[in-house]
Amino acid sequence: MKVVIVGNSAAGIAAAENLRSLEPLAEITVLSQENHPSYSRCLIAEIVAGAVFDSIRYRPDSFFEERNINLIRGVRVHSVNHASSTVSFGEEKEASYDKLLVATGSRPVRLGVAGEELDGVFVLRSYDQAELISRCAAAANDAVVIGGGLVGLKAAYALRRRGLPVTVLVKSSHLLTRQLDALSAAMVEKELREAGISFIYGQNPVGFKCGADPKALGFVVLEDGREIPAGLALVAKGVSPNAELVREAGGEISSGIKVNAFMETSLPNVYAAGDCIEVTDCVTGRQTPSALWTLAVEQGRYAAINMAGRQKAYPDPLTRLNAAQFGRLPFVSVGAMEEGEEFLTWQKEGRVYQKLAIREDRLVGFIMVGLIEQAGVFTSLIKSKRPLGNLRGDFLQGKVSAANLI
Amino acid sequence: MTREVLIRYDRCTGCRSCELACAVAHSASKTLLGAIGEAKRPLKRIFVHQAGAKKVPLNCRHCGEAPCLDACIAGSMYRTTEGIVTNEGGERPCVGCWMCVMVCPYGVIRSELKEKLAVKCDRNCLDDGKVPACVRACPTGALVYESIDQFGEDRRKEFLAKAVGGQ
Repeated sequence: MKVVIVGNSAAGIAAAENLRSLEPLAEITVLSQENHPSYSRCLIAEIVAGAVFDSIRYRPDSFFEERNINLIRGVRVHSVNHASSTVSFGEEKEASYDKLLVATGSRPVRLGVAGEELDGVFVLRSYDQAELISRCAAAANDAVVIGGGLVGLKAAYALRRRGLPVTVLVKSSHLLTRQLDALSAAMVEKELREAGISFIYGQNPVGFKCGADPKALGFVVLEDGREIPAGLALVAKGVSPNAELVREAGGEISSGIKVNAFMETSLPNVYAAGDCIEVTDCVTGRQTPSALWTLAVEQGRYAAINMAGRQKAYPDPLTRLNAAQFGRLPFVSVGAMEEGEEFLTWQKEGRVYQKLAIREDRLVGFIMVGLIEQAGVFTSLIKSKRPLGNLRGDFLQGKVSAANLI
Repeated sequence: MTREVLIRYDRCTGCRSCELACAVAHSASKTLLGAIGEAKRPLKRIFVHQAGAKKVPLNCRHCGEAPCLDACIAGSMYRTTEGIVTNEGGERPCVGCWMCVMVCPYGVIRSELKEKLAVKCDRNCLDDGKVPACVRACPTGALVYESIDQFGEDRRKEFLAKAVGGQ
Protein backbone atom coordinates (compact mmCIF):
# COMPACT_ATOMS: atom_id res chain seq x y z
CA MET A 1 0.00 0.00 0.00
CA LYS A 2 1.21 3.46 -0.95
CA VAL A 3 0.22 6.29 1.37
CA VAL A 4 0.90 9.98 0.81
CA ILE A 5 0.44 12.39 3.71
CA VAL A 6 0.35 16.13 3.02
CA GLY A 7 1.50 17.94 6.15
CA ASN A 8 4.16 17.37 8.78
CA SER A 9 2.45 18.66 11.89
CA ALA A 10 0.14 17.18 14.55
CA ALA A 11 -2.23 15.21 12.30
CA GLY A 12 0.35 14.22 9.67
CA ILE A 13 2.89 12.98 12.20
CA ALA A 14 0.29 11.08 14.26
CA ALA A 15 -1.02 9.45 11.09
CA ALA A 16 2.44 8.44 9.86
CA GLU A 17 3.40 7.07 13.27
CA ASN A 18 0.23 5.03 13.71
CA LEU A 19 0.14 3.84 10.13
CA ARG A 20 3.66 2.52 10.43
CA SER A 21 2.82 0.47 13.49
CA LEU A 22 -0.33 -0.91 11.81
CA GLU A 23 1.23 -1.49 8.37
CA PRO A 24 4.90 -2.41 8.61
CA LEU A 25 5.20 -2.75 4.83
CA ALA A 26 3.28 0.31 3.64
CA GLU A 27 5.18 2.84 1.56
CA ILE A 28 4.64 6.11 3.44
CA THR A 29 5.59 9.53 2.05
CA VAL A 30 5.12 12.77 3.99
CA LEU A 31 5.17 16.02 1.99
CA SER A 32 5.88 19.11 4.05
CA GLN A 33 5.74 22.70 2.92
CA GLU A 34 7.81 23.85 5.85
CA ASN A 35 11.49 23.09 5.61
CA HIS A 36 12.08 22.29 9.26
CA PRO A 37 12.20 19.23 11.47
CA SER A 38 8.86 18.58 13.16
CA TYR A 39 8.06 21.06 15.90
CA SER A 40 5.18 21.90 18.21
CA ARG A 41 3.16 24.73 16.73
CA CYS A 42 1.63 25.44 20.15
CA LEU A 43 5.05 26.42 21.44
CA ILE A 44 6.18 28.88 18.75
CA ALA A 45 5.52 31.85 21.05
CA GLU A 46 8.63 30.61 22.88
CA ILE A 47 10.65 31.48 19.77
CA VAL A 48 9.19 34.99 19.91
CA ALA A 49 10.46 35.15 23.50
CA GLY A 50 13.94 34.31 22.26
CA ALA A 51 14.10 30.51 22.59
CA VAL A 52 15.96 28.37 20.04
CA PHE A 53 14.43 25.85 17.63
CA ASP A 54 15.61 22.88 19.64
CA SER A 55 13.36 23.83 22.54
CA ILE A 56 10.17 23.38 20.47
CA ARG A 57 11.03 20.13 18.66
CA TYR A 58 8.15 17.66 18.70
CA ARG A 59 9.85 14.50 17.47
CA PRO A 60 13.56 13.75 17.17
CA ASP A 61 15.21 14.03 13.75
CA SER A 62 15.61 10.28 13.61
CA PHE A 63 11.83 9.76 13.86
CA PHE A 64 11.13 9.38 10.13
CA GLU A 65 14.22 7.40 9.24
CA GLU A 66 13.73 4.95 12.09
CA ARG A 67 10.24 4.25 10.85
CA ASN A 68 11.19 4.11 7.21
CA ILE A 69 8.95 7.06 6.37
CA ASN A 70 9.96 9.11 3.36
CA LEU A 71 9.83 12.77 4.45
CA ILE A 72 10.16 15.40 1.71
CA ARG A 73 10.50 18.89 3.18
CA GLY A 74 10.18 22.32 1.65
CA VAL A 75 7.72 21.37 -1.09
CA ARG A 76 4.29 22.75 -1.90
CA VAL A 77 1.57 20.36 -2.99
CA HIS A 78 -0.19 22.00 -5.94
CA SER A 79 -3.07 19.69 -6.69
CA VAL A 80 -4.77 16.37 -6.11
CA ASN A 81 -5.90 14.37 -9.13
CA HIS A 82 -8.17 11.70 -7.74
CA ALA A 83 -8.91 10.20 -11.15
CA SER A 84 -5.25 9.17 -11.50
CA SER A 85 -4.67 8.95 -7.71
CA THR A 86 -1.73 11.33 -7.84
CA VAL A 87 -0.65 14.58 -6.25
CA SER A 88 1.59 17.08 -7.98
CA PHE A 89 4.16 18.85 -5.83
CA GLY A 90 7.40 20.82 -5.90
CA GLU A 91 8.83 21.47 -9.32
CA GLU A 92 6.77 19.29 -11.64
CA LYS A 93 6.98 16.27 -9.39
CA GLU A 94 4.25 13.73 -8.93
CA ALA A 95 3.48 11.09 -6.32
CA SER A 96 0.90 8.34 -6.71
CA TYR A 97 -1.11 6.97 -3.82
CA ASP A 98 -3.50 4.25 -2.83
CA LYS A 99 -4.58 6.39 0.12
CA LEU A 100 -4.01 10.12 0.54
CA LEU A 101 -4.23 12.08 3.79
CA VAL A 102 -4.70 15.83 3.57
CA ALA A 103 -3.40 17.37 6.80
CA THR A 104 -2.73 20.87 5.55
CA GLY A 105 -3.67 22.72 8.72
CA SER A 106 -4.94 26.29 8.83
CA ARG A 107 -3.65 29.79 8.31
CA PRO A 108 -4.08 33.05 10.19
CA VAL A 109 -6.92 35.35 9.25
CA ARG A 110 -5.76 38.74 7.95
CA LEU A 111 -7.53 42.00 8.77
CA GLY A 112 -7.61 43.33 5.21
CA VAL A 113 -6.88 46.92 6.25
CA ALA A 114 -4.53 49.51 4.76
CA GLY A 115 -0.85 49.13 5.54
CA GLU A 116 -1.02 45.45 6.53
CA GLU A 117 1.83 44.74 4.08
CA LEU A 118 4.27 47.07 5.89
CA ASP A 119 7.45 45.59 7.36
CA GLY A 120 6.82 44.92 11.02
CA VAL A 121 3.23 43.65 10.65
CA PHE A 122 3.10 39.92 11.31
CA VAL A 123 0.94 36.89 11.82
CA LEU A 124 2.10 33.98 13.99
CA ARG A 125 1.55 30.46 12.75
CA SER A 126 4.90 28.95 11.77
CA TYR A 127 8.43 28.75 13.09
CA ASP A 128 9.60 31.00 10.24
CA GLN A 129 7.10 33.69 11.20
CA ALA A 130 8.08 33.40 14.86
CA GLU A 131 11.72 33.78 13.89
CA LEU A 132 10.95 36.94 11.87
CA ILE A 133 9.00 38.40 14.79
CA SER A 134 11.86 37.59 17.13
CA ARG A 135 14.32 39.41 14.86
CA CYS A 136 12.03 42.43 14.53
CA ALA A 137 11.47 42.48 18.31
CA ALA A 138 15.21 42.79 18.88
CA ALA A 139 15.18 46.17 17.11
CA ALA A 140 11.67 47.44 17.91
CA ASN A 141 10.83 49.92 20.68
CA ASP A 142 7.23 48.90 21.17
CA ALA A 143 4.76 46.23 20.11
CA VAL A 144 1.01 46.01 19.55
CA VAL A 145 -0.80 42.67 19.54
CA ILE A 146 -4.20 42.58 17.86
CA GLY A 147 -6.49 39.98 19.40
CA GLY A 148 -7.20 38.81 22.94
CA GLY A 149 -7.22 35.09 22.14
CA LEU A 150 -4.69 32.47 23.20
CA VAL A 151 -2.23 33.03 20.36
CA GLY A 152 -2.29 36.80 20.84
CA LEU A 153 -1.81 36.59 24.59
CA LYS A 154 0.95 33.98 24.40
CA ALA A 155 2.77 36.22 21.90
CA ALA A 156 2.15 39.35 23.99
CA TYR A 157 3.55 37.59 27.04
CA ALA A 158 6.57 36.41 25.03
CA LEU A 159 7.28 39.92 23.68
CA ARG A 160 6.94 41.36 27.17
CA ARG A 161 9.43 38.83 28.52
CA ARG A 162 11.92 40.31 26.06
CA GLY A 163 11.42 43.69 27.71
CA LEU A 164 9.31 45.33 25.00
CA PRO A 165 6.39 47.57 26.00
CA VAL A 166 3.34 45.64 24.74
CA THR A 167 -0.23 46.81 24.15
CA VAL A 168 -2.97 44.30 23.33
CA LEU A 169 -6.01 45.46 21.33
CA VAL A 170 -9.14 43.54 22.20
CA LYS A 171 -12.37 44.12 20.29
CA SER A 172 -14.49 42.15 22.77
CA SER A 173 -15.34 43.23 26.30
CA HIS A 174 -12.91 40.75 27.88
CA LEU A 175 -9.98 38.47 27.05
CA LEU A 176 -10.27 34.89 25.83
CA THR A 177 -13.99 35.08 25.03
CA ARG A 178 -13.91 31.57 23.54
CA GLN A 179 -12.51 30.13 26.75
CA LEU A 180 -13.38 32.29 29.73
CA ASP A 181 -16.14 34.37 31.32
CA ALA A 182 -15.65 37.99 32.39
CA LEU A 183 -14.55 37.14 35.93
CA SER A 184 -11.95 34.53 35.01
CA ALA A 185 -10.71 36.67 32.11
CA ALA A 186 -10.16 39.51 34.56
CA MET A 187 -7.94 37.22 36.65
CA VAL A 188 -5.82 36.44 33.58
CA GLU A 189 -5.75 40.12 32.64
CA LYS A 190 -4.54 41.05 36.14
CA GLU A 191 -1.70 38.53 35.85
CA LEU A 192 -0.71 39.96 32.44
CA ARG A 193 -0.97 43.57 33.64
CA GLU A 194 1.32 42.70 36.52
CA ALA A 195 3.79 41.45 33.93
CA GLY A 196 3.61 44.93 32.37
CA ILE A 197 1.21 44.39 29.43
CA SER A 198 -1.39 47.11 28.64
CA PHE A 199 -4.84 46.55 27.16
CA ILE A 200 -7.17 48.62 24.99
CA TYR A 201 -10.72 47.27 24.72
CA GLY A 202 -13.44 47.77 22.14
CA GLN A 203 -11.06 48.67 19.36
CA ASN A 204 -9.91 47.05 16.14
CA PRO A 205 -7.22 48.61 13.97
CA VAL A 206 -8.49 50.37 10.87
CA GLY A 207 -5.03 50.62 9.37
CA PHE A 208 -1.27 50.54 9.83
CA LYS A 209 0.88 53.62 9.11
CA CYS A 210 4.57 53.91 8.40
CA GLY A 211 6.93 56.00 10.51
CA ALA A 212 10.14 57.65 9.25
CA ASP A 213 10.86 54.68 6.98
CA PRO A 214 8.05 54.57 4.37
CA LYS A 215 8.24 50.76 4.16
CA ALA A 216 8.17 50.04 7.85
CA LEU A 217 5.40 50.14 10.45
CA GLY A 218 5.31 53.19 12.70
CA PHE A 219 1.73 53.36 14.05
CA VAL A 220 -1.36 51.26 14.49
CA VAL A 221 -4.48 53.34 13.75
CA LEU A 222 -7.55 52.58 15.88
CA GLU A 223 -11.26 52.93 15.09
CA ASP A 224 -11.47 56.01 17.31
CA GLY A 225 -8.63 57.68 15.38
CA ARG A 226 -5.92 57.12 17.96
CA GLU A 227 -2.49 56.26 16.55
CA ILE A 228 -0.49 53.90 18.75
CA PRO A 229 3.28 53.97 18.09
CA ALA A 230 4.54 50.48 17.21
CA GLY A 231 7.65 49.05 15.62
CA LEU A 232 6.02 45.63 15.63
CA ALA A 233 2.41 44.54 15.25
CA LEU A 234 1.03 41.04 15.41
CA VAL A 235 -2.38 40.21 13.97
CA ALA A 236 -3.85 37.30 15.97
CA LYS A 237 -7.51 37.12 14.99
CA GLY A 238 -7.92 33.38 14.57
CA VAL A 239 -7.29 30.88 11.79
CA SER A 240 -9.09 29.49 8.78
CA PRO A 241 -8.73 25.95 7.38
CA ASN A 242 -6.44 25.26 4.41
CA ALA A 243 -9.09 23.47 2.36
CA GLU A 244 -7.97 24.45 -1.16
CA LEU A 245 -6.42 21.12 -2.20
CA VAL A 246 -9.66 19.27 -1.63
CA ARG A 247 -11.89 22.09 -2.87
CA GLU A 248 -10.02 22.43 -6.16
CA ALA A 249 -10.13 18.67 -6.65
CA GLY A 250 -13.92 18.85 -6.39
CA GLY A 251 -14.29 17.66 -2.80
CA GLU A 252 -16.96 18.85 -0.43
CA ILE A 253 -16.10 21.85 1.75
CA SER A 254 -18.03 23.68 4.42
CA SER A 255 -16.34 25.68 7.18
CA GLY A 256 -13.48 23.24 6.55
CA ILE A 257 -12.97 20.03 4.58
CA LYS A 258 -15.98 17.75 5.10
CA VAL A 259 -15.12 14.26 6.34
CA ASN A 260 -17.25 11.34 7.50
CA ALA A 261 -16.70 9.45 10.77
CA PHE A 262 -13.91 7.47 9.09
CA MET A 263 -12.03 10.66 8.21
CA GLU A 264 -12.84 10.20 4.49
CA THR A 265 -13.47 13.25 2.32
CA SER A 266 -16.03 13.08 -0.49
CA LEU A 267 -13.16 12.17 -2.87
CA PRO A 268 -12.31 8.46 -3.27
CA ASN A 269 -9.34 7.30 -1.12
CA VAL A 270 -8.73 10.84 0.11
CA TYR A 271 -8.79 11.34 3.87
CA ALA A 272 -8.36 14.55 5.85
CA ALA A 273 -7.47 15.34 9.47
CA GLY A 274 -6.49 18.25 11.69
CA ASP A 275 -7.10 21.98 11.44
CA CYS A 276 -8.14 21.74 7.76
CA ILE A 277 -11.35 19.81 8.51
CA GLU A 278 -14.76 20.60 9.92
CA VAL A 279 -16.03 18.57 12.88
CA THR A 280 -19.25 18.37 14.89
CA ASP A 281 -18.93 19.48 18.50
CA CYS A 282 -20.14 16.74 20.85
CA VAL A 283 -21.86 19.17 23.21
CA THR A 284 -23.42 21.75 20.89
CA GLY A 285 -23.94 19.48 17.87
CA ARG A 286 -22.75 22.36 15.72
CA GLN A 287 -20.28 22.12 12.85
CA THR A 288 -17.08 24.02 13.41
CA PRO A 289 -13.47 24.01 12.19
CA SER A 290 -11.45 21.55 14.25
CA ALA A 291 -8.52 23.90 15.03
CA LEU A 292 -6.96 22.21 18.07
CA TRP A 293 -3.62 20.40 18.26
CA THR A 294 -5.03 17.68 20.52
CA LEU A 295 -7.87 16.93 18.11
CA ALA A 296 -5.47 16.90 15.16
CA VAL A 297 -3.41 14.16 16.84
CA GLU A 298 -6.57 12.11 17.56
CA GLN A 299 -7.80 12.55 14.00
CA GLY A 300 -4.42 11.64 12.53
CA ARG A 301 -4.55 8.44 14.56
CA TYR A 302 -8.10 7.63 13.44
CA ALA A 303 -7.24 8.42 9.82
CA ALA A 304 -4.33 5.96 10.01
CA ILE A 305 -6.53 3.22 11.47
CA ASN A 306 -9.11 3.70 8.72
CA MET A 307 -6.56 4.04 5.91
CA ALA A 308 -5.14 0.74 7.12
CA GLY A 309 -8.56 -0.78 6.52
CA ARG A 310 -9.58 -1.26 10.16
CA GLN A 311 -12.84 0.64 10.26
CA LYS A 312 -13.09 2.77 13.37
CA ALA A 313 -15.45 5.72 13.72
CA TYR A 314 -14.11 8.95 15.20
CA PRO A 315 -16.47 10.10 17.96
CA ASP A 316 -17.60 13.74 17.79
CA PRO A 317 -14.98 15.68 19.75
CA LEU A 318 -15.09 18.49 22.27
CA THR A 319 -13.98 21.46 20.21
CA ARG A 320 -13.34 23.70 23.17
CA LEU A 321 -10.50 22.14 25.06
CA ASN A 322 -7.83 24.56 26.21
CA ALA A 323 -5.24 24.69 28.94
CA ALA A 324 -2.58 27.34 29.50
CA GLN A 325 -0.67 29.20 32.16
CA PHE A 326 0.30 32.87 32.26
CA GLY A 327 2.74 33.78 35.01
CA ARG A 328 1.60 31.88 38.07
CA LEU A 329 -1.96 31.48 36.88
CA PRO A 330 -2.99 28.25 35.15
CA PHE A 331 -6.42 27.73 33.60
CA VAL A 332 -8.39 25.03 31.86
CA SER A 333 -11.53 25.62 29.82
CA VAL A 334 -13.57 22.79 28.36
CA GLY A 335 -16.96 22.42 26.69
CA ALA A 336 -19.67 24.93 25.92
CA MET A 337 -20.35 27.30 28.79
CA GLU A 338 -23.05 29.04 26.72
CA GLU A 339 -25.08 25.81 26.69
CA GLY A 340 -25.40 25.92 30.48
CA GLU A 341 -28.80 26.51 32.11
CA GLU A 342 -27.43 26.49 35.62
CA PHE A 343 -24.01 27.48 36.93
CA LEU A 344 -22.08 26.47 40.01
CA THR A 345 -19.15 28.66 41.01
CA TRP A 346 -16.46 28.59 43.64
CA GLN A 347 -13.91 31.31 44.40
CA LYS A 348 -11.05 31.50 46.84
CA GLU A 349 -8.89 34.47 47.74
CA GLY A 350 -8.96 35.94 44.26
CA ARG A 351 -6.56 33.20 43.12
CA VAL A 352 -8.93 30.32 42.47
CA TYR A 353 -12.11 30.33 40.42
CA GLN A 354 -14.07 27.36 39.19
CA LYS A 355 -17.33 27.41 37.29
CA LEU A 356 -19.44 24.55 36.02
CA ALA A 357 -22.15 24.83 33.39
CA ILE A 358 -24.97 22.30 33.76
CA ARG A 359 -27.89 21.48 31.49
CA GLU A 360 -30.53 18.87 32.25
CA ASP A 361 -28.43 17.40 35.06
CA ARG A 362 -25.40 16.98 32.82
CA LEU A 363 -22.11 18.85 32.80
CA VAL A 364 -21.72 20.76 29.51
CA GLY A 365 -18.72 22.97 30.28
CA PHE A 366 -16.32 24.16 32.96
CA ILE A 367 -13.69 26.77 33.67
CA MET A 368 -10.94 26.25 36.23
CA VAL A 369 -8.53 29.03 37.06
CA GLY A 370 -5.74 28.85 39.62
CA LEU A 371 -6.52 25.26 40.61
CA ILE A 372 -6.76 22.74 37.80
CA GLU A 373 -6.26 19.38 39.53
CA GLN A 374 -8.82 16.74 38.48
CA ALA A 375 -9.81 18.78 35.41
CA GLY A 376 -9.74 15.62 33.30
CA VAL A 377 -12.44 13.99 35.43
CA PHE A 378 -14.75 16.88 34.54
CA THR A 379 -13.75 16.65 30.87
CA SER A 380 -14.72 12.99 30.80
CA LEU A 381 -18.02 13.79 32.55
CA ILE A 382 -18.86 16.19 29.71
CA LYS A 383 -17.93 13.61 27.09
CA SER A 384 -19.86 10.78 28.74
CA LYS A 385 -23.00 12.94 29.27
CA ARG A 386 -23.47 11.09 32.54
CA PRO A 387 -26.24 12.44 34.81
CA LEU A 388 -24.75 14.19 37.83
CA GLY A 389 -27.38 13.11 40.34
CA ASN A 390 -26.21 13.34 43.93
CA LEU A 391 -22.66 14.35 42.94
CA ARG A 392 -23.63 17.94 42.37
CA GLY A 393 -23.60 18.97 46.02
CA ASP A 394 -19.90 18.12 46.33
CA PHE A 395 -18.93 19.20 42.91
CA LEU A 396 -16.53 22.04 43.44
CA GLN A 397 -13.61 22.61 45.79
CA GLY A 398 -11.86 19.49 44.59
CA LYS A 399 -14.38 17.27 46.38
CA VAL A 400 -15.31 15.24 43.32
CA SER A 401 -12.74 12.84 41.93
CA ALA A 402 -12.84 9.86 39.62
CA ALA A 403 -13.45 7.84 42.78
CA ASN A 404 -16.96 9.25 43.01
CA LEU A 405 -17.77 7.92 39.59
CA ILE A 406 -17.13 4.27 40.34
CA MET B 1 3.28 -9.87 29.91
CA THR B 2 2.66 -6.37 31.27
CA ARG B 3 1.83 -6.19 34.94
CA GLU B 4 -0.47 -3.55 36.31
CA VAL B 5 -1.48 -2.12 39.63
CA LEU B 6 -5.00 -3.41 40.16
CA ILE B 7 -7.28 -2.08 42.84
CA ARG B 8 -9.66 -4.02 45.11
CA TYR B 9 -11.68 -1.10 46.41
CA ASP B 10 -13.50 -3.13 49.04
CA ARG B 11 -10.22 -3.78 50.87
CA CYS B 12 -8.99 -0.18 51.09
CA THR B 13 -9.15 1.26 54.62
CA GLY B 14 -7.78 4.65 53.59
CA CYS B 15 -4.55 4.30 55.57
CA ARG B 16 -2.61 6.15 52.84
CA SER B 17 0.44 3.89 53.23
CA CYS B 18 0.57 3.74 49.42
CA GLU B 19 0.75 7.55 49.13
CA LEU B 20 3.58 7.71 51.62
CA ALA B 21 5.51 4.86 50.03
CA CYS B 22 5.07 6.43 46.59
CA ALA B 23 6.45 9.78 47.74
CA VAL B 24 9.38 8.14 49.52
CA ALA B 25 10.20 6.03 46.45
CA HIS B 26 10.35 9.26 44.43
CA SER B 27 12.56 11.07 46.94
CA ALA B 28 16.30 11.51 46.57
CA SER B 29 17.17 9.46 49.65
CA LYS B 30 14.48 6.75 49.20
CA THR B 31 13.97 6.62 52.96
CA LEU B 32 11.13 8.12 54.99
CA LEU B 33 13.45 9.92 57.38
CA GLY B 34 15.57 11.28 54.54
CA ALA B 35 12.54 12.26 52.45
CA ILE B 36 11.09 14.39 55.26
CA GLY B 37 14.23 16.53 55.36
CA GLU B 38 14.67 17.01 51.63
CA ALA B 39 14.53 20.55 50.28
CA LYS B 40 12.61 19.38 47.21
CA ARG B 41 9.39 17.88 48.52
CA PRO B 42 8.97 14.36 47.17
CA LEU B 43 5.63 13.98 45.36
CA LYS B 44 3.18 11.09 45.57
CA ARG B 45 1.61 9.87 42.36
CA ILE B 46 -1.19 7.81 43.89
CA PHE B 47 -4.18 9.41 45.57
CA VAL B 48 -6.57 7.93 48.10
CA HIS B 49 -9.97 9.54 47.64
CA GLN B 50 -12.98 9.46 49.90
CA ALA B 51 -16.09 8.80 47.85
CA GLY B 52 -19.11 8.56 50.12
CA ALA B 53 -18.34 5.72 52.48
CA LYS B 54 -15.73 4.23 50.14
CA LYS B 55 -11.98 4.81 50.17
CA VAL B 56 -10.51 4.63 46.70
CA PRO B 57 -6.81 4.65 45.82
CA LEU B 58 -6.24 5.86 42.27
CA ASN B 59 -3.12 6.06 40.15
CA CYS B 60 -2.31 6.06 36.46
CA ARG B 61 -3.86 3.16 34.57
CA HIS B 62 -1.34 3.46 31.73
CA CYS B 63 -4.36 3.30 29.38
CA GLY B 64 -4.21 1.45 26.08
CA GLU B 65 -5.51 4.51 24.23
CA ALA B 66 -4.15 7.07 26.64
CA PRO B 67 -5.74 10.52 26.13
CA CYS B 68 -2.65 12.18 27.63
CA LEU B 69 -0.52 10.82 24.78
CA ASP B 70 -2.70 12.52 22.14
CA ALA B 71 -2.97 15.70 24.17
CA CYS B 72 0.70 16.36 24.88
CA ILE B 73 1.70 19.35 22.76
CA ALA B 74 5.38 19.08 23.63
CA GLY B 75 5.89 15.49 22.47
CA SER B 76 6.94 14.72 26.02
CA MET B 77 4.42 12.04 27.04
CA TYR B 78 5.33 8.65 25.57
CA ARG B 79 4.89 4.94 26.13
CA THR B 80 7.97 2.96 27.12
CA THR B 81 8.67 -0.48 25.66
CA GLU B 82 7.30 -1.88 28.95
CA GLY B 83 3.99 -0.10 28.31
CA ILE B 84 4.47 2.66 30.91
CA VAL B 85 3.04 6.04 29.93
CA THR B 86 5.36 8.74 31.25
CA ASN B 87 6.70 12.23 30.55
CA GLU B 88 10.06 11.54 32.16
CA GLY B 89 13.22 10.39 30.48
CA GLY B 90 11.87 10.65 26.93
CA GLU B 91 12.90 12.62 23.86
CA ARG B 92 11.29 15.89 24.93
CA PRO B 93 10.90 17.64 28.29
CA CYS B 94 7.50 18.50 29.80
CA VAL B 95 6.64 22.21 29.42
CA GLY B 96 3.70 22.33 31.84
CA CYS B 97 0.98 23.07 29.29
CA TRP B 98 -1.55 21.07 31.40
CA MET B 99 -3.16 19.38 28.42
CA CYS B 100 -2.66 15.96 30.04
CA VAL B 101 -4.20 17.20 33.29
CA MET B 102 -7.16 18.45 31.26
CA VAL B 103 -7.89 15.10 29.60
CA CYS B 104 -6.92 12.41 32.14
CA PRO B 105 -10.25 10.75 33.06
CA TYR B 106 -8.83 9.47 36.35
CA GLY B 107 -7.49 12.85 37.46
CA VAL B 108 -4.16 11.30 38.45
CA ILE B 109 -1.73 13.74 36.83
CA ARG B 110 -0.51 16.49 39.15
CA SER B 111 0.14 20.03 37.99
CA GLU B 112 3.23 21.42 39.70
CA LEU B 113 2.64 25.06 38.88
CA LYS B 114 5.95 26.54 40.03
CA GLU B 115 8.07 24.02 38.17
CA LYS B 116 5.59 23.92 35.26
CA LEU B 117 5.80 20.16 35.38
CA ALA B 118 3.13 17.49 35.09
CA VAL B 119 3.84 14.69 37.56
CA LYS B 120 2.42 11.18 37.28
CA CYS B 121 3.04 7.52 38.05
CA ASP B 122 6.20 6.54 36.20
CA ARG B 123 6.84 3.14 37.81
CA ASN B 124 10.31 4.31 38.80
CA CYS B 125 9.63 2.78 42.20
CA LEU B 126 10.05 -0.97 41.70
CA ASP B 127 11.86 -2.84 44.46
CA ASP B 128 14.22 -5.80 44.05
CA GLY B 129 11.24 -8.06 43.50
CA LYS B 130 10.02 -5.69 40.72
CA VAL B 131 6.99 -4.66 42.78
CA PRO B 132 5.87 -0.99 42.89
CA ALA B 133 6.24 0.85 46.20
CA CYS B 134 2.49 1.49 46.58
CA VAL B 135 1.66 -2.20 46.22
CA ARG B 136 4.46 -3.28 48.56
CA ALA B 137 3.22 -0.83 51.21
CA CYS B 138 -0.47 -1.79 51.08
CA PRO B 139 -1.25 -3.72 54.29
CA THR B 140 -4.65 -5.05 53.23
CA GLY B 141 -4.02 -6.29 49.72
CA ALA B 142 -6.20 -3.57 48.22
CA LEU B 143 -3.45 -2.96 45.68
CA VAL B 144 -2.11 -5.92 43.74
CA TYR B 145 0.44 -6.05 40.96
CA GLU B 146 -0.52 -8.63 38.39
CA SER B 147 -0.43 -9.48 34.76
CA ILE B 148 -3.47 -8.34 32.93
CA ASP B 149 -5.34 -11.56 32.53
CA GLN B 150 -8.91 -11.53 31.43
CA PHE B 151 -10.02 -10.78 34.96
CA GLY B 152 -7.94 -7.65 35.15
CA GLU B 153 -8.96 -6.50 31.72
CA ASP B 154 -12.62 -6.98 32.60
CA ARG B 155 -12.21 -5.03 35.81
CA ARG B 156 -10.54 -2.19 33.98
CA LYS B 157 -13.19 -2.02 31.32
CA GLU B 158 -15.87 -2.16 33.99
CA PHE B 159 -14.24 0.78 35.76
CA LEU B 160 -13.99 2.79 32.58
CA ALA B 161 -17.58 2.05 31.67
CA LYS B 162 -18.77 3.18 35.10
CA ALA B 163 -16.46 6.14 35.41
CA VAL B 164 -16.66 7.70 32.02
CA GLY B 165 -19.20 5.70 30.08
CA GLY B 166 -22.24 7.17 31.75
CA GLN B 167 -23.58 3.84 33.00
